[in-house]
Amino acid sequence: MSALLEVSGVSVTFDGFRAINNLSIAIGEPELRAVIGPNGAGKTTFMDIVTGKTRPDEGRVIWGERSIDLLRLSESDIAKIGIGRKFQKPTVFEDQSVRDNLAMALKNRRGPLSVLMWKPTAQDRARIEELAEEIGLTERLDHRAGALSHGQKQWLEIGMLLAQDPRLLLVDEPAAGMTPAEREHTTDLLKRAARTRAVMVIEHDMDFIRRLDCRVTVLHEGAVLAEGSLDHVTKNQQVIDVYLGR
Amino acid sequence: MELPRQTAATTTPLRRSFLRDNPSVLWFMGLLGLFTLIVTLLSEGMGIGLISTNLVKVLGMTLCLCLIAVAMDVVWGYCGILSLGHFAFFGLGGYAIGMWLMYARTEIVIRDSLGRGTIPPTELEVSEGVAAQIFGVVGSSELPLIWSFAGSLPFQLAMVVLVPGLLALVFGWLAFRSRVTGVYLSILTQAMTLALSLYLFQNDTGLRGNNGLSGLQNIPGFLHLPQSILSVWFFWASAFALGAGYLLFAWLVSGKFGSVIRAIRDNETRVRFLGYNVEGYKLFVFTVTAIVSGIAGALYYPQAGIINPAEIAPIASIYLAVWVAIGGRGRLYGAVIGAAGVSLLSSWLTGGGAPNIDLGFYRIVWTDWWLVLLGLGFVAVTLFFPKGIGGLFDYLVRKP
Repeated sequence: MSALLEVSGVSVTFDGFRAINNLSIAIGEPELRAVIGPNGAGKTTFMDIVTGKTRPDEGRVIWGERSIDLLRLSESDIAKIGIGRKFQKPTVFEDQSVRDNLAMALKNRRGPLSVLMWKPTAQDRARIEELAEEIGLTERLDHRAGALSHGQKQWLEIGMLLAQDPRLLLVDEPAAGMTPAEREHTTDLLKRAARTRAVMVIEHDMDFIRRLDCRVTVLHEGAVLAEGSLDHVTKNQQVIDVYLGR
Repeated sequence: MELPRQTAATTTPLRRSFLRDNPSVLWFMGLLGLFTLIVTLLSEGMGIGLISTNLVKVLGMTLCLCLIAVAMDVVWGYCGILSLGHFAFFGLGGYAIGMWLMYARTEIVIRDSLGRGTIPPTELEVSEGVAAQIFGVVGSSELPLIWSFAGSLPFQLAMVVLVPGLLALVFGWLAFRSRVTGVYLSILTQAMTLALSLYLFQNDTGLRGNNGLSGLQNIPGFLHLPQSILSVWFFWASAFALGAGYLLFAWLVSGKFGSVIRAIRDNETRVRFLGYNVEGYKLFVFTVTAIVSGIAGALYYPQAGIINPAEIAPIASIYLAVWVAIGGRGRLYGAVIGAAGVSLLSSWLTGGGAPNIDLGFYRIVWTDWWLVLLGLGFVAVTLFFPKGIGGLFDYLVRKP
């Protein structure tokens, strides 16, 4: 399994605060990976760097077989290349229907003129129905996204992520604010997605991560503290000191 | 027996027929057509004369203002760019057509007077005569470079589209690429408008400084026709332009494109992470609306008869935003209601048409109090009807 995404020696400083400190991390395809760590460990900043929102001061971020340098691409180009991101706070377009939200995310041409001329094909429609089924929102397809419950919005966002058909999914706290039943459903969704893609999940909830049953990377002060199975990292004394012990 | 399998196509499609999805467009077109017919039948030039030529012009001009308001609604209400510069594009369209109107008409006059001599005038004499006639007022008798093709109608018509379009393209490219958004972008557009207006106020810019271009109501080639007929023609042209522009923008905002630009308005960062080039979309919308604004201006000023740099001053663009806000952002008919309502009310109250109110201890003179009324109206609408007047239609038509 060769690496799909390879981050090496990345550092970034905000006003003198070193948010990411010589971080190196890699993920293969397919793979499910959980990233944990205390607040301020640099988890979200790491995602910002990969998706092009933040430019690091040094280091390299390399993508795919052709070793594309992600640091030279814009956010939209990075998304088009196959990296999808779900934000910590669910951000769906509340003013628009669930269907429109999904349609916007569907993997189609993204230029203004092609979008202007776009007419949904039978395939597009079927894909939207299929996604809605998968995220349990079939009944709500024509409702405003703003009328959904918090958990449903999280799912819609995951659905939009899947609609993009990315090779790497970066998922920031997908289970925040969900009921136990919803959490279980979310775990299933992510595990299923990870059969064919690379999925990286940031999460605080240990039970959730245990259910994901995957390799875990622990971040601390902007660098990797430990990596391995959940049992392995939870036995690590340093991890217990900085994260679990508190 | 085997039941036919339900195919994906039988489920609710994303986009049925455009007009079926947008009944308000049909309503609008119907009402616009009816209004045009009524005004024509009542006009002085073609009908029973109940509506004076002057009023026909005011109504035609109002239709042009509705058109630019619709454009403003697309750029602001749908795409979230509060541009305080669209009246600059409107003015540039007016200047572009005004140059031809003024040049061609002056040329006719000059040829006429020179032709009375025994020797027919040379082209140079004509061109010098025209220049002296047009630019005498700013103390010059030379034709500025930008007037080189002013005698050509096709050229100046192309300028109506190209000048606002290119300015919007270059300005937008610089501003959006640097990710200037929100209030900073508004200030930037306002600065552009102010700079353009101040520039045009100078006498040596080749557009007659603060005198502006005048006599635009006289259309070369139709000088023999009375204004009562011409005014109806321009009214028709304005109504047609408004209808076509409305249709264009309604189509633009109805499908997935509309979905994307509304998403940009609500959360542009998120749209970027979906893989859309946000800057490209903004630039597209900004430029298309600027071009339509230019066309609206090119129809407006021949009816107004005169254009000067004061028309481009930032206050005009601010009024535009106020119309759209009062009418209702994010719905095209709202912009039309706002622009028509407020501008007609304004000309009624400030044109001496409205009776002043004597309170005994104080006399409300509308020419002084109109702006106060507008300001109060604006505050009231934003406080009590954030969706604007157009939002009241939501109570009539319940949406699922």
